[in-house]
Amino acid sequence: MTNPTPGASRREFLSTAASAPLVAGAAAGVLGGEARAQTTTGAAMAGGQVLVTLKVNGQTHRLSLDPRVTLVDALREHLGLTGTKVGCNHGQCGACTVHKDGVRVLSCLTLAVAAEGSEITTIEGLADGDELHPMQAAFVQHDAYQCGYCTPGQILSAVACVKEGHAGSDAEIREYMSGNLCRCGAYVNIVAAINDAKTKMGA
Amino acid sequence: MAELPLIGEGAPRIDGRLKVTGDARYAADFSVPNPAYAQLVTSTIARGRIVSLDASEAGKVPGVLKVYTHENAPKIEGVPFFGKGGQAYQGFRPLQGVEIKHEGQIIALVVAETLEAAREAAFRVKATYEPQTPAATFGDGGTETEVAAEISKQHTDPKTGDADAALKDAAHVVEAEYETATNHHNAMELYSTTAHWTGDHLTIYEPSQWVYGLRAGVAGELGIPQDKVRVLSPFTGGAFGSKGTVTARSALTAAAARALNRPVKLLVTRAQGYTTASYRAETKHRIRLGADGDGTFVGFVHEGFELTSRPDTFLVSGTESTVRMYGFKNVRTKVSAVRADRNTPGFMRSPAEVPYMFALESAVDELAWKIGMDPIELRLKNDTKTDPITGKPFTTRQVRACFERAKELFGWDRRVAKVGAMRADGELVGYGAALACYPTQLAPAAVRLTLEGKGRARVQIAAHDIGTGTYTVLAQAAAGLLGVALDRVEVELGDTNLPAGPISGGSVATASSVSAIMKAAEAIRLRLATAATTSNDGPLAGKDKESVVLKDGRLVAEDGTGEDLTDAFKRLGVGTVEEYAEWLPDGVDEKAMRGLYNGSVKIVGGPMQDRTQFSFGAELVEVRVNPRTLSIRVPRMVGVFASGRIMNRMTAGSQVLGGMVWGVGSALHEQTEIDRRYARYVNDNIAEYLVPVNADIVHQEIEFLEEDDGEVNLAGVKGLGELGNVGTNAAVANAVYHATGFRARKIPIRIEDVLKSHLV
Ligand code: FES
Ligand code: FES
Repeated sequence: MTNPTPGASRREFLSTAASAPLVAGAAAGVLGGEARAQTTTGAAMAGGQVLVTLKVNGQTHRLSLDPRVTLVDALREHLGLTGTKVGCNHGQCGACTVHKDGVRVLSCLTLAVAAEGSEITTIEGLADGDELHPMQAAFVQHDAYQCGYCTPGQILSAVACVKEGHAGSDAEIREYMSGNLCRCGAYVNIVAAINDAKTKMGA
Repeated sequence: MAELPLIGEGAPRIDGRLKVTGDARYAADFSVPNPAYAQLVTSTIARGRIVSLDASEAGKVPGVLKVYTHENAPKIEGVPFFGKGGQAYQGFRPLQGVEIKHEGQIIALVVAETLEAAREAAFRVKATYEPQTPAATFGDGGTETEVAAEISKQHTDPKTGDADAALKDAAHVVEAEYETATNHHNAMELYSTTAHWTGDHLTIYEPSQWVYGLRAGVAGELGIPQDKVRVLSPFTGGAFGSKGTVTARSALTAAAARALNRPVKLLVTRAQGYTTASYRAETKHRIRLGADGDGTFVGFVHEGFELTSRPDTFLVSGTESTVRMYGFKNVRTKVSAVRADRNTPGFMRSPAEVPYMFALESAVDELAWKIGMDPIELRLKNDTKTDPITGKPFTTRQVRACFERAKELFGWDRRVAKVGAMRADGELVGYGAALACYPTQLAPAAVRLTLEGKGRARVQIAAHDIGTGTYTVLAQAAAGLLGVALDRVEVELGDTNLPAGPISGGSVATASSVSAIMKAAEAIRLRLATAATTSNDGPLAGKDKESVVLKDGRLVAEDGTGEDLTDAFKRLGVGTVEEYAEWLPDGVDEKAMRGLYNGSVKIVGGPMQDRTQFSFGAELVEVRVNPRTLSIRVPRMVGVFASGRIMNRMTAGSQVLGGMVWGVGSALHEQTEIDRRYARYVNDNIAEYLVPVNADIVHQEIEFLEEDDGEVNLAGVKGLGELGNVGTNAAVANAVYHATGFRARKIPIRIEDVLKSHLV
């Protein structure tokens, strides 16, 4: 960030948030007390920025951010991890799905500051070196995509779906994967890929 | 030349690894040095003038660099509307004056240091308007209806015989009106533009299905030479027609980046995408279809009404397809444009066929019930080998074979030919069928193909992978023709530094690109074969050069004698052979190649001088209607398609599977709701604009029939991107009728519509 926003106070941030539906929605809908606690515990810096430490794919990053920066924007615009996609910015499509402490979350509805202290896993962190995660390999094998834009979100959601124990049957997979839209319509292949990968994941 | 198989191997995508690891770079993923972020502000009225635009509050937001409004916006030279031979999505250019032509029109562009500041400032721009009452859609006061043939040079109404007289004497006649809804593409990838100047050279990163068109459009609008602009779009996150034409944001972003002397990245919100780019307009149809006593069609009348904007005449004219589906003896058609205060509609996956075939394929089903005939039987009875309008033969047309195979896969013989007679698990069951079609179209294409002695190959073409598997199928073509392994082929796409490829639209991309690759591959083969057969020694010396092919990393004659590629290259004295080839479809003159480079589109196909070329398919669906909730589900769909050479059975399969999912969306989910008072889209987001989700799609089964069509183009490829979603909507509606007795003449079908059925 080259130009901090001079003079913006926390009060201004709150009034801004209220006037901007995107951020207001996020603050009201998803963030619990945890996020608020963190933004007030001494991380605030001059210029309205906050210091945020994010642990992504095992790497620790220290960032100075506008407190309104969402996790997806922090990943994409500040850390250059562009594998996570934005399809709506409103929590409607699942394209931005990442894991927060192993749980699938929508990174467009998560403020970066609320991810502090958590282990974030993105699509870039799923493979083991050159070896693809079984879910990634299964998506390739079953052509479980077309344009590939929803794919990072689908794969992270699918891995979580299996770990949650929600991949017991095709019907269950379909239901628990319905938060991840695929406009290309690769659904039957996505279900096939998850069925294939779940055995390899030892589930 | 080595032969490509009729149905190509189902090879996993060569770009698969990039897509599953997050390494595939979509436009907004490219990093540029020190970008400023831009956001659009759009109008809240549909018609009128801006009285004042107050950007003072916005300007005070810390980090804001500039707010562009009509008062200080860079001057943009509008390039012509796509429908008039240009590249622009609409003829009207926003931000060049106070006039408002549609709701959600761009009225300001905010540029700031950060995305957050740009978003905040965008919300603080205040506009006051002098509004006028808009006309939103069909039936509203103020709409203007014009006959297409009278206002558009490109439009003629296909016609033969005397349909009205024939219908008078017909034993059975269906006369009905059908309607299709407003739809938005809603590709998962949002619209964006990143503009980066280095000196007087501009690089644009933007999701595109036509990079050369985007280059020409932006250069034209900025008044700079095309060769000063490079457009990059190596991966496009879904397009479906929405990313083919040039919208106002591209040149505006570039102009802002030039003025601010810094790269600018504009991210468009999903809601703004509904009004700053194109969509599928609503349509209405008046159909009259008549048959004699045994079901032979005697007359067909198709009148279409299409919504368009005030400034532009955008028409899909689907009568060009419907009149060719059956052996109609007498045909009359008429298309009308209805102007309203809306943004200009545009191409959306099978633009003409989705609405027009819904009407025809519903009417055929209605007629079958009227006659008391199986609806598939009725279709097959009226199959034709010649184009009823031109009298010319279809190159290939496997309608009968498609239906017969689909019936088998589906178990159509279990159908009880009575409304509401089938039940399962306490639900009403219905079977429905429809014909799918798409005209086989082609466009000029240029390619550079390289073969190394070490057995590596490279394909370079500014075609696009919008999910179509282009990387993979072009690699398969090169691998097959040059006799090298698939994993030894590299493909470069989506970059105006590459030879000009076709627009990824009209299902032309694979057919046209592979045809160009065949031409280049033949030139490479000939160079190597000539050297090997005319040399004084070596195993191929003295052989007929025409009999020598590239196979398994070798240059071999028919009798199996040959030599390794390395030796063949040694003989030539080079390590690499490179060929640039330009391919033109039949009936397209040389000038079209220049045009291709300059961003002008030439697409030919469907009815031609001496023949008519289409791909066909048969789609069969089962629906279940819950008698209590009236919810309609589609538990299974079967599709059998005949579409020329299939390059890769796996990626091709995905395209038609996805197409059928779109068909379900068209039939049951998708409708952009319009607030008629304000001509405003209400559900402009991806939650309230319903699209099929995973749970909506249960079982899909598809098959491709072998089809050897040497007439359509060099490659015998017919294209697939738009075949799968044609007819599906009618098949679903026909199945709903079978289950419930409710005839849906308007899609999407809603639960409240089914309430009208007497059976539930
Ligand atoms: S981008 Fe987060 S849910 Fe769509
Ligand atoms: S692969 Fe294109 S949206 Fe899912």
